[in-house]
This record gives sequence, structure tokens and C-alpha cells, in this order.
Amino acid sequence: MRSLRLTVVTIMACLLSASAFASGFAIPEQGAKASGMAAAFVATADDPSAIFYNPAGLAQQREMAVYAGATFINFSNEFVGDPNSPVTADAEGKYDRHTFIPPNAYFILPIGNNLTVGIGTYAAWGLRTDWADPWAGRYISRDADLRTLSVNPTIAWQTSDGRFALGGGVEYRRARVFLNANRLSLNPFTGRVADVANTRLASDYGDDIGFNAGILWKPSDRFRVGASYRTDMDIELEGDADITQILTGTPLDAIVATQLPPDQPISTTLPFPAVAAVGVAFSPNEDWDIEFDINHTTWSRFEALDVAFETTPAASFSRPQNWDDTTAFRVGVNHNATDMWDVRFGAVYDNNPQPVEAVSPLLPDSDRIGVTVGTGLHKGPFVLDWSVMVLHFKDRSTEGRNPEGFNGVYQTDAVLWMANLGYRF
Amino acid sequence: MKNVLKLAAAVLIAAVVAVPMFAARGSANFTQFVALGDSYGAGFESNSLNERHQVWSWPAVVARQAGLTVCPVTATATTPCFAVPLVSFPGFSNELLLNSVVPAPVIAPAPGQAAPLMLTFGRPFNNLAVPGATVGALLTVTGAEPPTQGEPTVVTMSRFILRGQGTQIAQAVALHPTFIALWIGGNDYLNVAFSGTPATLTSAADFKTRYEAVLDSLIAGAPNAGMVVGNLPAPAGLVPYLTLVPPVLVDPTTRQPILIGGQPVFFIAKDGNGGVGQVTPGTLIPLHVRDKLAQGFGLPPALKNIPPFSLLPHTGEPLEANDVLTPAEIATVIARVAEYNAIIQQAASARNIPVADVKGLFDRAAATGGIQLGPVNVNSAFISGGFYSLDGFHLTDLGYLLFGNEFIKTINAGYDTEIPLAGIWQLYSNNGAFFPDTANNLTFTEPNRGMSDAAVKNIVTFWAQPTVKRLRAVGH
Repeated sequence: MRSLRLTVVTIMACLLSASAFASGFAIPEQGAKASGMAAAFVATADDPSAIFYNPAGLAQQREMAVYAGATFINFSNEFVGDPNSPVTADAEGKYDRHTFIPPNAYFILPIGNNLTVGIGTYAAWGLRTDWADPWAGRYISRDADLRTLSVNPTIAWQTSDGRFALGGGVEYRRARVFLNANRLSLNPFTGRVADVANTRLASDYGDDIGFNAGILWKPSDRFRVGASYRTDMDIELEGDADITQILTGTPLDAIVATQLPPDQPISTTLPFPAVAAVGVAFSPNEDWDIEFDINHTTWSRFEALDVAFETTPAASFSRPQNWDDTTAFRVGVNHNATDMWDVRFGAVYDNNPQPVEAVSPLLPDSDRIGVTVGTGLHKGPFVLDWSVMVLHFKDRSTEGRNPEGFNGVYQTDAVLWMANLGYRF
Repeated sequence: MKNVLKLAAAVLIAAVVAVPMFAARGSANFTQFVALGDSYGAGFESNSLNERHQVWSWPAVVARQAGLTVCPVTATATTPCFAVPLVSFPGFSNELLLNSVVPAPVIAPAPGQAAPLMLTFGRPFNNLAVPGATVGALLTVTGAEPPTQGEPTVVTMSRFILRGQGTQIAQAVALHPTFIALWIGGNDYLNVAFSGTPATLTSAADFKTRYEAVLDSLIAGAPNAGMVVGNLPAPAGLVPYLTLVPPVLVDPTTRQPILIGGQPVFFIAKDGNGGVGQVTPGTLIPLHVRDKLAQGFGLPPALKNIPPFSLLPHTGEPLEANDVLTPAEIATVIARVAEYNAIIQQAASARNIPVADVKGLFDRAAATGGIQLGPVNVNSAFISGGFYSLDGFHLTDLGYLLFGNEFIKTINAGYDTEIPLAGIWQLYSNNGAFFPDTANNLTFTEPNRGMSDAAVKNIVTFWAQPTVKRLRAVGH
């Protein structure tokens, strides 16, 4: 137990940020078996990642187990400026960093015949948009980085016949945000548009507590119905604005120096959505499971990114977001091919929450469609799950409506490799 | 026979379908692109023609966006590039530089002596625009005119641009152009800023005759070339050169009108009919008249005994009639420009030549709120507006870039091409800092003054960037 705790702590310490791989900045790939089924897992939830997908699913697991892994996200992206916009015509951009590895780890412990407790840690929310220099959109964002880390103790109970289960947990979530942009100004001494300052807004970790709950009902051996809910949160963040002047070598510098706000404390509140999921699973025979899920995410809570500057309130800003709630559709298949091998397939269609006016270098989101394949290898107490998801983001155009004049088309594709190792004691 | 009929029908249908939806003459083939015009076309900026800004002239902007590269000074007659008559910094005449803005703007010419860099270039330049050119000059001035005292700018400048090898039109035709861009007419009315009287405006009748002659000469010499022209701007106040000096006495420290008896003090000027009177609101005072005002001219006699005005040698003496532009004179100019624009529109339409709305660009820059372009606001305010250069008359690189975009828009609409606009990010000075130095294929002949190294490097590296993929015009 002692070494196990150490492992969990180590994994927590090295949690990395990730770009957004479900609508908005959600990352629902938090277990390789579930991910192999395109995260259509709420009515299955038969491994320790049930802590994330549906806590009721813990109750059906009657052995102490540990399950840990990571998602290796690799993606390509490109911004192509609107050829008819004098701000972005011929401008191109790409992210500097393309690889993110959010890990996850779960531990579960059955108690008696009907109860199971567990604890999980994961990074299910985050984003990174790190535009490579020279980036024409640097006046809006050069780099945005949202990191989260959740710890989720959970308890689940099932009826003695195993037909019905309830589960719930408390989620402690920490988050921090980092925003980096340049300020540009006409420089009458050179006739050029000069970068005159870099603003780096970095928050400390803020936190909040939420809850998750779920039910799992097996009316027959062939049907399962699951539902889960995770509450929304508002994480208040405090941090510092570092405003560094970029010298132009002209007398403009003296003028800029008098106008730049000083380094100062800043604050913001980051809204996280609630997520509701329902799923039905059907087993035509004991070797096949097919599940359909619908996820609803209350992204409409994200109305604006408001950052308050404490010393010079005039420097405060509000970036309207006005996101919409989203619904994702998932289908997953698990096939017990042999005693040792499972084979999995899945597909997901995920709507994006962003109105076109909110599509910006900060987070250019779009509808995406993904397909997955995966395998599970069982050997004694060990299980090794592996899956890969190919995720295509629809080209997203700002349709000439970006409020800051930064118009064009964002293109993204991603491949997610997921692996988890489990051990049942 | 039946098959033959079918074939004939198919060919007929194909022929009908293939007729383009647009009626612009020629095609948008930029293999040999030629521009004609005046100081705006030449990239004249801050009272100077030099290589730092010639590469941002509106024809150079259009050429680059259409996939061409601007010739470096080492280019030869056979180098496939857009040739521009480069002049070394500080240019002709020495470029005005902004030295400070606090407490008051200090603008002064850069030191040094410029030289033309491509006098022996082996073919006519692709950018034949000559500062000072009027519509009439396109038909007459060749650069072979003997020097005279006080000769027009267009003659002086033509010596190293046209080099005695023929008029702008003759040299344009000699290049066998595939596409011709023309913007001319500004000097037919903006000289009013220096003459102070609408008497120097080209008459509408002369403008019509000459403008049509220009178009017809080009068409006769290059019947298959695509063409584009532009209309003429006349925003309120015309140019900052005419609006910087208010018609009333101003306190130089507060820049607010001095009130005497609660009223502003309007300058006095001759009315041209033997009378003298105070000028009326809306009167424009050209910037050069500032020197006379500093000697006391224009100050009412009532100030003769009031220090510090009493210390000036000419207080109480009126300005000349040609030192001011009265509201009536301004109205005459605006009305004449409207006539010119009607002539341009009619002459171009009759010849299937699309017309760029240059007037619209200047109106937007002059409108309240200016033009918001991503991180910057471009407007017609002097120094801070980013549109007019330090001479208060010509444009900045940014202004010319937007000017070029008006032509690109018009070419795209008229010829169904997809030439991308020039993005203002090309003028973000720190872009250059991110590019490698090795792409430099151009050396400046003067040490860099008045412009950051990064900004210079930006231009150089921009030239060196591959532009082939920008070429989206039909005809290639």
C-alpha cells in the first residue's frame, strides 16, 4: 500500500497539460479500455476508470485493483489566414508543441459484499495553444495553457443480486491558467507596427470541490443502462500579470513606458461545465458488448473570460465566449475474442460549444469525429489495455466575424494513443 | 450525321458555358506586369523617393501578392522580376524622419546624399510611376527634357525613372505588358495645396481628353493586356497638409485657440479682389504658410500692440489670397474631383476596365473611428494615424499596402482571380527578428537610419520568401 500511494503521488506530480480533445477543453480519454470504445462506457464501467466514467460501476468490481496509464496525444494543426482580410491574408500558423501526455491512475478496494471504495486522479480538463513564432495572431494570444488535476474519492453500493448499483464521489479539482500575448502599436518613428510589450498572465493554482454520482442497472444479462453526472465548478484564480516592455529602439519606447500598466495581481474565475451521461449497452451474446452513449456538457456556463487587474482596473479585460451546451454521441464495441484478448472499436461525434465569434487563437474549437480501435490483454492478475483514436476536426472558419479582426480557417487532426496497465490483487 | 450534330451541339454548349461571367478586358496574367502613375505609384513617402518605401508602393504590393518578386539592384534585363527604379536612402529628396513627438513633433530631413541605383538597368522599369506626373505628363514627359531652373518635379524625377527612353506609356508598351495597372490624376488637383487656387486644376474637358488618350494608347500598344485603374480620393480636408494649421490663432503650448473677447481670432487674408478680411471657418491653410504666420502675416491689426504679437515684424499684414483655400475654393476642388471620377468611371467602363475604389479607402480612413485592422487603428490623423506619411500628403507603407489591396480586390472581382490581399502583418516590425538572416538577397547602400534593424530585415526577408504559391491568378 505504501508503494502504491507513492506511485499515485508521483503520477500526480508529473501530470501534464493537454490540448482539448473533446468539445471545449474537456479530455474524456481517462482509461484505455473506455477510450478503445470511444468513451462509450457509462453503462459498462467495469474497470477502475469507472471512478471517472460512472462511479456506480465500481460496485460490480469485487477485487482490489490498481489501474494506471496515460494518453499520448499527438496532433497537427494549421491556421490559414483569410485571403480577403487585410489583417490575416497570407498569414499562417502552427502550434509549437504537438504532444501532450495526460496520465490517470485509479485504486479500488471492495468492502464486504456490496460496497466498493476507490480513489482516482486524472487531468480531464485542459488546453494548450502554443503558437509558433512568428505568429500574426500574437496580439490575441501567443500561448494559452490551462492545467487541471482532480482527485476523486468514490464509494459505490450494489444490490446483492448485482442488478442495480449506485455510486458517488467527491471531486477535488485544482486548476491554473497561463496566458501570453503581445501588445502591438503603430510606431510612427518607423512606419511599422511594433511589438511594444509582452503580457504574461499566470495564475496560481485555485481549487473547488464538486460531486459525481451514477447509477448502473442491469435489467437482464443482455441489457445494461447507466447514467452519471458530474457537477459544474467555478474555480477562482489569483495570479500575477507580468508586463514586459519590448524595446523598439525609437523614442516610442519612452511613450510606451509611461502608458504600460505595472506588474500587478490579477484574478479571474474559470467556469467548468457539468457533464451528464446516459448509456445503454447490449450484449447479443457473452462475447460481444455494444454501447451507445450520449454526453451533455453545460458549456453555456462559459460566458466570458474576465480577467481583473487589481492595481490598474482599466487594464482589466473581458473576452466574450457565449458558448453553447454540447451533446456528444458515442458508440463502442467490446469483443472477447479469446480468453486472453479483447478487441474494441468505437466512434464519436462531438459538437463544439463555440459560436463563431469566439473562435480565436486562444482556443479554436470545432466539431470533431473520431474512430478508435483497441485491445485488452488479460494475463493472470494483469490487464494491459491499449487503444488508438484518430480524431478529425472539421475545418473551422471564423467566417469573417472574429471581433478582433483575426479571420481565417483553423484545421486540426489528432491521433491519441492510450495505454493502461491494471493489476487485480 | 446525327453524331456530327450532337458533337456540334456539345461544342456550342461548351463555347457558351466557357464565356466568362466577367467582362473585364484581357486576362489577369501577371507575367509582365506594368504600373503607371504618380508619386503614390512610385512609393513616394515622407517627401522622399527611396528604396525603403519604393518596395511598398501600391504597384509593388500588387506585384508581390500576384506572385512576383521585386527586382534587387543586382537584377539584369532578363531577370524575371518586377523592376523598380530604386534610389538609395535618404532618397530624393532627403526623407523626413520623426525625431521626437514629446513635447512637440520634431520632423527633419535625414542627412546624406542619395543616388539612383538602377540607372543602367537594361529594360524599362515595371513600375514607371513618376512623382509629380499628371494625366497629361503620361503622354508627354520622357526624362529627356533639358534641365531648366524651377522645372517641374515630374521632369526631374523622370530622368532616372524614364531615362529619356520614352513616355510612361511608350515604355509600358515596349515591355509587352500582360497586365497594366494605372492610377493617375492626383496631381491634376492636389497641386491646389501649393498653388492655393483652383485656377491650377486641370479642366474637366482636358482631363477627359487626356485620360481617354492614355487608356487608348495603352490599349493600342497592348490590346490583349488586362487592365485596372482607380478613382480619385477627395476626403474632407483633402490631406493633412491642408488641415494641420487651423485658420485661427492657436496657443502653441496648449494647442487650443486663443480666445479674445470669448471669440477665436481668425487670420486675415486678401480676398483676391482687392479686399482684405478675416477668413471664415472651414478655410484651409497649407502647411508651408506656417512660415509666414510665424512672421506675423495674417494676424489681425488689433494684435499689433499686444505682446508677443507686437514683436513679430509683419503683424497686421494680411496673407495673400493664394496662401489660403476658402471653403468656396475647396468646394470647387471637390466638385472637380467628382467630375474626374465620373470621367474615369465612364472611360474605363467603355473599355471594360474595372475601377478600384481608392476614394472609398481614403473616405474610410478619414471617417470617425478610422479603419480597425487587428491590433491597430489606421486613420487620417497626422503622425499617429498611420495612413499619411510625415509630409502630410503622401501615404505610409501601411497606407500604400491598403491602397494596393483596393487594386487587388478590384482585379479579383473583375477577373475572377483569387489574389490574396496583402496582410498588414507584413509590416509587423518584429516578424523579421524571427526569420533567419541568411535569406538576405538585397543590401542597402546606406547604413540604417531611422528604422530599426528588425524592420529592415523584415523587408529583406519578406522579399526572399517563396511567393510562388501566392500566384493564383488565371493565365498561369
